[in-house]
Amino acid sequence: MGQLEIEKIDDTTFVLQMGPHHPATHGVLKLLCEFEGERVIKIKPDVGYLHRGVEKLSESKTYPGAMTLTDRLDYISSMTNNIGYCLAVERLMGIEPPRRAKFIRTMVAEMTRLSSHLLWLATHALDIGAMTVFLYAFREREQILQFFEKICGARLTVSYPRIGGVRVDVKKHVLDEIYTFIELMIKRVDEYETLLTENRIWIARTRGVGVISPQDAVLLGLTGPVLRGSGVYYDIRKHMPYDAYSEVDFEVPLGENGDTYDRYLCRIREMRQSALIVKQCIEKMPEGDIISDKSPDIDLPYQSKRKIEPGDSLWSGFIAFSEEKQEIMPKGEIYSAIEAPKGELGFYIVSDGSGKPYRMRVRAPSFIHISAIPKLCEGHLLADVIAIIGTLDIVMGEADR
Amino acid sequence: MSKLLRKLLFIDLLKGMLITFKTIFTQPVTIRYPKQKRPLEEGFRGRHAFVRNPETGRERCVACTKCAQVCPSQCIYIDYSVNTESGARVLTKYEVDAFRCIFCGYCEEVCPVNAIVLTEFYEYASYNRESNYFNKERLLKNWDEFMEHYKRTDYLNKFWYLPGIKRDRLPVGKRQPRVVYKNINSEGR
Repeated sequence: MGQLEIEKIDDTTFVLQMGPHHPATHGVLKLLCEFEGERVIKIKPDVGYLHRGVEKLSESKTYPGAMTLTDRLDYISSMTNNIGYCLAVERLMGIEPPRRAKFIRTMVAEMTRLSSHLLWLATHALDIGAMTVFLYAFREREQILQFFEKICGARLTVSYPRIGGVRVDVKKHVLDEIYTFIELMIKRVDEYETLLTENRIWIARTRGVGVISPQDAVLLGLTGPVLRGSGVYYDIRKHMPYDAYSEVDFEVPLGENGDTYDRYLCRIREMRQSALIVKQCIEKMPEGDIISDKSPDIDLPYQSKRKIEPGDSLWSGFIAFSEEKQEIMPKGEIYSAIEAPKGELGFYIVSDGSGKPYRMRVRAPSFIHISAIPKLCEGHLLADVIAIIGTLDIVMGEADR
Repeated sequence: MSKLLRKLLFIDLLKGMLITFKTIFTQPVTIRYPKQKRPLEEGFRGRHAFVRNPETGRERCVACTKCAQVCPSQCIYIDYSVNTESGARVLTKYEVDAFRCIFCGYCEEVCPVNAIVLTEFYEYASYNRESNYFNKERLLKNWDEFMEHYKRTDYLNKFWYLPGIKRDRLPVGKRQPRVVYKNINSEGR
């Protein structure tokens, strides 16, 4: 049960099972491919090897407790996951974070985008055969992770944002250090471009590979740089601004052909824009509070305790205890999305008034991008499948949840 | 024409080679880990410890069980008895399963007396599982081990009093003026 299988068309084809422990599938993605010679005829992705039940698990945690689970969704950009979750709960509760918190959040979110894109560039280039970029990109990524350690004490599982603000204030000297690093970073992006953009091997491996038209991209539900590589202008930071994105200037880079090369250019330009946003955030960083007064404490109770009054009998007291629950959170449901480095990361939260979410659903971009693999790979060579997996920027922790 | 010339002369590849050649003369960014160590940032969330109260020589914990309530991974197990004379709680069991812990730092944040702390110590991998299941005595020993190598005179964890937070958001016990933990070892030297 549950085993995916491909029916062979005839004897000229053969079925190859790629993954789940293939180093180029970026995690535990399994692909069932059917080949004729070296050309892909049919491909079926098989997901679920990293399923941890985050959505179900969060139903038994309080709202602040469930935030620590979102760190582990897309584990290389945990800041944006946390921000997306906190933003959804804030919109549910009607809290507005203070201005300084908004700028800090925008800054760390863009630093996360840089680190995520650096990891994408490193592994994508390594898959295709450029070893040097891998080493260079990890050099810069390490520095970003050290800044996260300075800000919040952890490198990957940060748990930094809070419902209604951020956890700790960023010190002045850390901001200065980030500023000097970002200026260096812009030069480093030029370096990566010199190594790759005009490189004939890179162009031969990426141009014309995995072409997807704008119509198909929209129909498949692709978001983020994968969609923008096809030339569709859709960026939640511009269309539905959250945090401080309405107060900073940036451009949304668009591709033209919708192939792997254009998506690469899109992400590279996005890295430059991210660096500029971080610079603007540090320049405009206001003073003030970092957390809203209405923000819930981390020791938020699961249920409000109703005291049994002297007039209650045992039975009526029990009925009152089980039925008349006081509301900790406002009842209702909400969908709120942010622009994560991979694409549109949405959180759908249903609240029944208690201190824990009744249902939390994550719209993970990686999961939806995996569904585009069959469409993108059709008719390509086996080696191009690796390039296509790399260009979609898949993280299986997010796809399987 | 110039495009063809560039292609024939391998300009694109040579430009890339130049960058790698330049990098030969820069300082290496890697460190030789077990011999060299990167200085950790203040407030790194590492191994758990119980702060040893310098006056009594015992733990500060008052068994309020706040940390066990707030822990998202439920890795803290607490048991206490009540002293019938004074009515105070006496801690009988305090265990932390470091394998379950996700190092979010919520426990040290809610602690009203600054008892539990995530120290800046990270090298505690071992071959047996028991050594990373900390009981009360082990947690106090962790603190002593951490303080042995601690250089500065006083210790104040970042998450005890979150920087930039308003005083009325802190747990009740922490709203008094801050108590900085004095490092006894450094004074003796």
